[in-house]
Parts: sequence; C-alpha cells; structure tokens
Amino acid sequence: MAVPFPRSEWNGHENPEHIGVRGRSFVTSLLRMNNTNSMINDQAQPKPNAEVLREMDDEALITTFQSGDLDVYRFLVERYQERIRNLLFSIFHDRDFIDDLAQEVFIKAYQALPHFRFEASFYTWLYRIAVNKSRDELRKKKARRFFSFQTLDDGIEKELNVRLSVSPENRDTQELVAMGLQTLPEKFRTAVVLKDIEGLSYEEIAKVMQCQLGTVKSRISRARAMLRKALKPLMEEVQS
Amino acid sequence: MKKMKEQKLDALLSQYIDGALSEKEAQQVESLLAEDESVRKHVAELKNLKILLASQPKLNPNIGFWTRFAVAMEEQKEEERNLLPFPRKFLPAISIMVTAVVVVVGTLVIQNRMQFVQFFSEKSQAVKEVYKNKILQGSLLPLFSKVDKERALQFSLFGTLQLDDKSETALRVDEQSEKGYRIEVGNNLKNKTKSVTFDRFVSEVKPSAKQKKIIDSLLDLTGRRIETSVLIGENNTMAIAPDLPKLNRLMVTNIASCLEPLQRVNFERLLEANNAPYTVTVRSVPAGKAGNYFQRIPKFPQSDRFVIITPDTMMYSQIHINFDSLRRQVEENFAVAEVRREAMLKKIMAKGFQRIPRNVQFSTPDQFFSGEEFFSVEINVPSEEDNQQPMRVVVQPRFRKQFLPPEIRNHSTQMRIWKDTTSINIVP
Repeated sequence: MAVPFPRSEWNGHENPEHIGVRGRSFVTSLLRMNNTNSMINDQAQPKPNAEVLREMDDEALITTFQSGDLDVYRFLVERYQERIRNLLFSIFHDRDFIDDLAQEVFIKAYQALPHFRFEASFYTWLYRIAVNKSRDELRKKKARRFFSFQTLDDGIEKELNVRLSVSPENRDTQELVAMGLQTLPEKFRTAVVLKDIEGLSYEEIAKVMQCQLGTVKSRISRARAMLRKALKPLMEEVQS
Repeated sequence: MKKMKEQKLDALLSQYIDGALSEKEAQQVESLLAEDESVRKHVAELKNLKILLASQPKLNPNIGFWTRFAVAMEEQKEEERNLLPFPRKFLPAISIMVTAVVVVVGTLVIQNRMQFVQFFSEKSQAVKEVYKNKILQGSLLPLFSKVDKERALQFSLFGTLQLDDKSETALRVDEQSEKGYRIEVGNNLKNKTKSVTFDRFVSEVKPSAKQKKIIDSLLDLTGRRIETSVLIGENNTMAIAPDLPKLNRLMVTNIASCLEPLQRVNFERLLEANNAPYTVTVRSVPAGKAGNYFQRIPKFPQSDRFVIITPDTMMYSQIHINFDSLRRQVEENFAVAEVRREAMLKKIMAKGFQRIPRNVQFSTPDQFFSGEEFFSVEINVPSEEDNQQPMRVVVQPRFRKQFLPPEIRNHSTQMRIWKDTTSINIVP
C-alpha cells in the first residue's frame, strides 16, 4: 500500500534519471524549482520560493501562470490530482486507466489555462473538463462495445444481482454500491457522484455539467431512485 | 399517472434529504412522513444511500502522478512539433503498412511486367510509326473526327463543340448579331458548355418516327460538315470554313422546319430554357405542303474556300481536299491521327500565331490590322445569297441588341487572332 509522500522530500526521491530520456529536461527544470539557488535566473525579480507558491491560492497561481511562469502549474496539479483521480474513479470504477485519464484532464487544462477568465472557481472549471473527458471516454467505450458486439452493461447488472443474492454477511457493501453506480447512464451517474461523493452543491453541479439547476435536481433524484431499485436487497438490509 | 406521481415524490424526498426544499415544501414532506409509513421507509433508504455513497473508499494517493504527468506533457509537446500527417505513435504501423503495399504492388508489377512492357511499347510504336512511315504527314487533318449525333446536336443548339469529352479546348461559333460572327478555338471559353442530349430533345419535342429519322440524318450531315470545316496541319497551319457559323443557325432552322407547329413551340421552349443563342419564329406556312418535310429544308452551304492561317500569313483561298479519302484514311489510322492531331493542336495553342508580322499591307484588297492584344485581318468575301427560296421558318439570333465594336465594317470579313486563343471574327 502506497503511503502519501511528505512534500518536503520530493527532490530526494524523484530521480530524473529514472524518467524516459524525452521527459528528462522538462522534469529536471521542474524539479529544480525547489532548489532556492536556481530560482534566481536572469530576471530582475527573484521567483517566489516553492513553499510560498505552494501556499498561494488558486487565483494567484493562475495569474502567475498566465503571466508566463508555466512552472507553477505543478502546484495546481498537486493540489487537485487526488480529487480528479477520485472523481474519475467514482465514475468509472476502474483503477487501470484512471491515471491516464486524469493525466489527459490536466493536459487539457494546461492547454486551456491561458484562456481562463476567472468566471468560475478553478476547481469547478477543472471538474467540468474532467466530466467532459469522462463523457467522451464513455462514448468511446460504448462505440467499442458496439463494434465488439458485447453487452457490458447487462454483464454488470447480472453480476450485481448475483452478488446481491448471497447472504448479507458475505456481501461487500462498498463494492456493491460502486457496481450499482456503474449501471446508471452517464449523466445520472456523474450528477450523483458529484453530489454525494464529491459533495458539490446543486449550483456547482449545474456549472460543472453545464445545465439548468432543475435538470441537476431531477437527474440526482432519478439517479437515486434508480440506485435504490438496483440495490433493493441492500436497502432492505440496512433498513432492518 | 402513477409513475409521474412516483417521480414527483422521488424528486421531493431527494431534495428533502439534501435540505434543498423551501420551508413550505419541507413542511409538506414532514406531514407526509408523519402519516405514511412507506414514505418514512423511502426517506430512510435515501439517507442510507447517501451515507453509503459518501463512505465510498478513496483511491490511494498516487505519489508518482506529477512525474508521469511531466513526461506525458513532454510527449505532448513532442507531438505538437510532429510534422508527420499522423500521430507519432502510428509511425511503426504506418511504415510497415507502406512497406507491405510497396511489396505487393512491386510483386504485381514484376509478375505482369510483360503486359506493361507490351503496353508501353505499343504506345511508343504507334507514335514511332506516325513519324517513320510518314502516315498522314503533310496532310491537313480534321480537328474534329467522329462527330456523333449527340455532339452534332450540341453544336447545332449552342454553337459549342468540345474537342473530346475530357478536353477543355472547344470550338465555339457565336453569331452576335445578324452582321457578325465569331469562331473561336480556345480553352478559356467564358460560357461553360451546356448540354441537351438527344433523348431529352426527343422527350420534350416528341417528334414522330418519321421526323426523328429526318432529324437523325440532318445531325449526321452536320457532323460530317463539322468534320470538314476545321482543319489543322503541320507547321501551325489551320483552315476554317468561314461559313461554319451559319451551320448551326441553319441546323436550328432545319430542325424547326420539319416540326409541326405545336412541336415547334416545344422546341422553342427547350431552346429558351437552355439559353440557346437562337429563337424560332414562324413566318408563314403555305397550305397543302405540310407533310413534305424535305421540301422545307434549305440546302447546306457548300464551299471549298477556307480561311487559311499560317504563322506568317493569312489568306482566303480555295483548297481542294478529297474529304472522303481523308476521312477513310483517318478512320483507318485513327490512333495515329489522334496522336498527330494532338501534337499539332498543342503546338498551335502554345505559340501558334505569335510570329505573324504586324502591319503588313496585302496587295489584295485585304487589310491587316494589329492591336496590343490581337491581330485582325479584313478579307473581302464575296457575299453569298443566303437562300433563294423564301424561308418559312425564321431563326434569329437571340441577342440582337449586342452591338459590334466600331472598327468592324460592313461588307467585309474580319478575323481576329488573340495571342492566347485563336479566334476569328467574320463580318460579312
């Protein structure tokens, strides 16, 4: 089991030599940022210390980024990587490709950040990118399934029913809930994940999913109704 | 109805557990809760579900995320610098595919090499024969050969005739007013060639079987006439029958002559709809002769006098050509004639008549003008009597109001040769 890494030890444990040749220069330059000596370059004004940057709020970091210091993007990634990974994990429940997908989300955000207008908070904006990305990914999955003549959804529902039918003491409740989520259509799944797992407000979800507040409310209630139906035995057990 | 009610309740309770209801709505739900056991159960389930979802396990933090991300970013940047028309990662697959295609094509070519060799040697043999055996050398060749019914109809109605189906080069005769004609051979014709097929003509005009036969033979005659009207020869020479522009007007007259009044109206409609340069009007039809179509048809003009254009001079003179024998020769050596004709036309189009001397005074009454962009020659042409018999069907140019440039005089034929195209203005 991996342990969260103490931030002060970044440099000691990440050796650029372990990274592919192509990435080395970029990574080296980024890692050098923690070294206070190299922070002073030709610019008249010395760059702020990495610790100072780490404490800066999103808006200040984005302003710095937009003024040309692209290296500060690292702190935004560090701040939100786990949230985005968990969001994607809740939507897909598939450990294998979450990191790749999260990476794509952050690359997309990196490309779009110069045009960020501070109209929404950064994390709402980032969630929107992640939600759009996951929607694209689900569509791709659907297309692949269509061409491979598989019916994966049916598979999940069948397996869920099989697992629900075993005796209560042998059930893995968390696993069952995650599987129940997988049976929901994409927009309902995303809405309920954002509300109940990520803890966003209705208004924030409307911004992330780019729809009306009423739509969000109805999606969440529909999603909960569907989940209640799918996990009926579990519900009854909890009830008793 | 029940389902709708259920959905409404779902929505209400779902918002209730989120605390998103107004005070009034919340009270409504509370009273429902107080009186209905099933609603209580429903709410409890929803609350449980919310708790279950909130307690979903989180992923273990990924400490190497930034490092991997940095590498991915670098790759992304590399990809942006990629000049290949496809993502860099496909490079191995695509190079394998290209190799495979090259191998397959190469194998096929090697296996069938005899056929290729034969094909190319036949082609080059044909060209060699043209020059070695001096087939058709020195003879004037018709610019158009094998003018079929469709092409003859095309020419009759619109005065345009493409060299062949693919070619952009076309012959165009244009009767701009009753006084002036223009013959153009060029590839920058302003009007795109229109087309009315013979089938369409038949379906719109509805000629009887007898009329159809006559029109068929008229078109055949026209085709022959076109074949003998524009000739090209070695050393950039060209001969054009000056009465060619009359031919299409005559053909429209002929077709109109053998039609019945109602059909003629249809024919006129067809001409108008396709913006043809002629319009048909009827002067008078003598009674009692309606059935005899052939009597109404005027004669084709026959002339052995041609406007001959060479790089050095231009003249209007008689040439004696045995067209039957020429046609037979061309038909026997069609491929050879094609090759020769193409070469000759290319030469004419490329540098044709650039070397015509300027300001030459002919000893004959002919006059020669030259301008910045064209050469023009006036040649006195003995005016032929149009048709002795009174025409009953009159075909007139549609664009009457278009006037001619002032330098063009009456009673003379003016020929203009532009540097890029070869065109002749003839003003009788």
